[in-house]
Amino acid sequence: MTPPQDPHTPIPGMAGATCGQPDHVLHRRKFLTGLGAAGTVSLGSWAGLFSLPAFAQQAKRTAKRCILLWLCGAPSQFETWDPKPGRISAGPFRSIPTKLPGVHFSSLMSRCATIADKLAVVRCMKTDQNEHLQGINLLNRGSAPRPPFVRPVLGSVLAQQLGHLDNPVPNFILLDPCPEGNEFKEFKAGNWAGWLGAQYGPVRVGGDYRIENVQRQADLSAEDHASRNALRRFLTRKYENDRKSAAAASQNAVFERVKGLMSCADLFDLEKLPAKDRERYGPGAFAQHTLQARHLVENGAPFVMVSNGMPWDSHVFHNEIYQMLTPELDNVIFQLITDLEQRGLLDSTLVVAMGEFGRTPWLNQARGRDHYSKAWSLMLAGCGIKRGVVVGGTDAEGAEVDGQAFNEKNLFATIFSALGINPYALYDIGDLPSFRRVEDRAEPIREVLA
Amino acid sequence: MADTDPKSSPTPPAEPKLTKAKEINLPSAVLALESTPDGKTLFAACLDGSVQRVTVETGEALAIGRHDSYASGVALLPGAQQLVSSGYDGVLHWLDLASGKELRSVQAHQFWSWDLAASPDGRWVASVTGQYRAGSYKYDPAPGTEPSVRVYDAVSGALKHSWDFLPPVQAVAFSPDSRRVAAGNLMGEVAVWDLETGRIVSQWKTDDLTSWGIIKSHHFLGGVFALEFSPDGERLYACGMGPMRDPMAGNGVQRWQSFDWKTGKKLDQTHEGESGQGLMEALAFHPDGKHFVMAGRLFQGTWNLALFESASGRNLFSIDAKHRITDARFSADGQRLFLAKARQQELKNGRWNDFGLLEIHTVTGLGA
Repeated sequence: MTPPQDPHTPIPGMAGATCGQPDHVLHRRKFLTGLGAAGTVSLGSWAGLFSLPAFAQQAKRTAKRCILLWLCGAPSQFETWDPKPGRISAGPFRSIPTKLPGVHFSSLMSRCATIADKLAVVRCMKTDQNEHLQGINLLNRGSAPRPPFVRPVLGSVLAQQLGHLDNPVPNFILLDPCPEGNEFKEFKAGNWAGWLGAQYGPVRVGGDYRIENVQRQADLSAEDHASRNALRRFLTRKYENDRKSAAAASQNAVFERVKGLMSCADLFDLEKLPAKDRERYGPGAFAQHTLQARHLVENGAPFVMVSNGMPWDSHVFHNEIYQMLTPELDNVIFQLITDLEQRGLLDSTLVVAMGEFGRTPWLNQARGRDHYSKAWSLMLAGCGIKRGVVVGGTDAEGAEVDGQAFNEKNLFATIFSALGINPYALYDIGDLPSFRRVEDRAEPIREVLA
Repeated sequence: MADTDPKSSPTPPAEPKLTKAKEINLPSAVLALESTPDGKTLFAACLDGSVQRVTVETGEALAIGRHDSYASGVALLPGAQQLVSSGYDGVLHWLDLASGKELRSVQAHQFWSWDLAASPDGRWVASVTGQYRAGSYKYDPAPGTEPSVRVYDAVSGALKHSWDFLPPVQAVAFSPDSRRVAAGNLMGEVAVWDLETGRIVSQWKTDDLTSWGIIKSHHFLGGVFALEFSPDGERLYACGMGPMRDPMAGNGVQRWQSFDWKTGKKLDQTHEGESGQGLMEALAFHPDGKHFVMAGRLFQGTWNLALFESASGRNLFSIDAKHRITDARFSADGQRLFLAKARQQELKNGRWNDFGLLEIHTVTGLGA
């Protein structure tokens, strides 16, 4: 397969830029600081585009987006996509037939079984990292670390490639209400955007993480607000033109950004989502935020990552945890894929459900399954992905990949290809060594590409 | 003070002690255990779904029943002629032990049977169930979709009582007079019902046997894993492990608590400094009515099997029994303790180890 041409090559990265800690709470001042560092911002905006309803609708349909259901802690392949009926490794849950002849999922995935013809399941992932922090980095960045250089995470790359700096909706949104998460907490405190720069880092929302100060003051009418804004725009634009000031231009761009955020503040309010939708997805935080992710991509967000701490790390009480978590995941995926299809957005929205590795075929003494990166599964659906595909497999007990195995580089090449992004483009990062989006020309998983 | 002749003084009573006498390997881990009154035969509910009859003398095991998922409970009815088993398939099987035939099968639940108990008078069999489903943004548990506590007529198999109790309900026990049944759930709630009237007698909550996840995720984990009434019927004992910030670490304190079941008032619990960390899954009273064992998994500390004096709550004797203990039963004469165990599963060269184990310990230093 010829990799898709990349209209953005070379990548306009911010050479040497680092973001340090990501903005976990998006205060307006922090946001201004981050955008000020960006230097250049285009003048077009989704807000403007969406003032023409027909055009906005078309733009929504053609734009590509991605939702990552990040199942942190490493979900078990046995209780999801690769059950082993009748085997000792099977655990207490049955396997059930799916809409694909001969393909079975765990009985905990009964709703997904009914839409298996819309999904692509990869059952032959094999990666090298068996510890959380390393695994989280590997599956979010797509390559092993090469200190001191920090490779951007998938969300940052897609924010840059699929988003617009003047998009009123943030280009990279992390929905994760859990403030803790052991190694995930450590990862969250790290540098997400790497050499792309802070402007491609995530805006975090969920639980106590809110976007503050984006509501119009109660004592200010919409009319007064618009008048003030028009005056401000006139004066600052004049100042910018008279002085030919890049700083002023940047400030103006930032203001437009915040204005954009104010215009989309409702997108971040779970209470504003239709009650029937909220009921369909289920009450748990992960379910509610997946619905919110759907709502955000419908309204212009190019990349949304949904997580909820690190709940899949079941070293103890494995079956007891999975009897709760997995049915929620099953319903969430079912609702999301169904909604995207019904809205005509599935062909332009890539959905990925994965963690950092899988879990052991055997139970430990604490009735848990431990880390296992030798043979595990993930799911893709939507944009650029074939429907109704199961790729690869594992041996009878799920201990080894049976046949060809794929790793994180193959996965990232697949994701970029599916979204029409050149997987092998060089990053333009000045004097730093040469890095590509996917190193070693790793092949995409061709069997899942449409 | 008069001199005493050491030769004429009475022999001091032996210190209470448990000594491993025998172990019997089984291919699959054991979740529940029952013994015949003479202690010659054991019945084991296993992870592979089988119900095994094990001859203690020879160690010979024979599968006499099967569930379509984990077998989770076994209860011998009086006279030792019938055995009831339960499983994660939600089914109860009545087995005739003489003929080996299944007498009856009842789909008791749509979800797992977490625990099974038979009343001492042989009239009732109780099974508990319940799936933890998210009930709120913070994963408070949702109400059940089916009654989580069911009591059946042990002779006819007819359903006698169905009670709603917030799921998952993980433990069940009958009172010694067979007039009441108690159940405990994952959130640390305990309830007692009157079997004659079908009414709830008391209900309370202990936060000391459950965890609300802080570190990795927000939901309950742990809960009440075993219940036993004291032989005098006055107290109800519950066990599990203490609260943890990260429930998935399994490092809560090894804990039992005793309650006045009429009021729910806590009377005692494992004493400070007498326990380590790890989930406790088994409680069993010695026939003398004055002592009990608690057992489970050792995460950190020195023991996963301990003998307690019920009046004082003191830990009299404890050992590291090496593997997770899932159930415990004393023989009727009080001279032996039977343990059900689960080893770490291992897969080498395509072959699984025998990860099930039954152990027989001799009991010394306790009355009959």
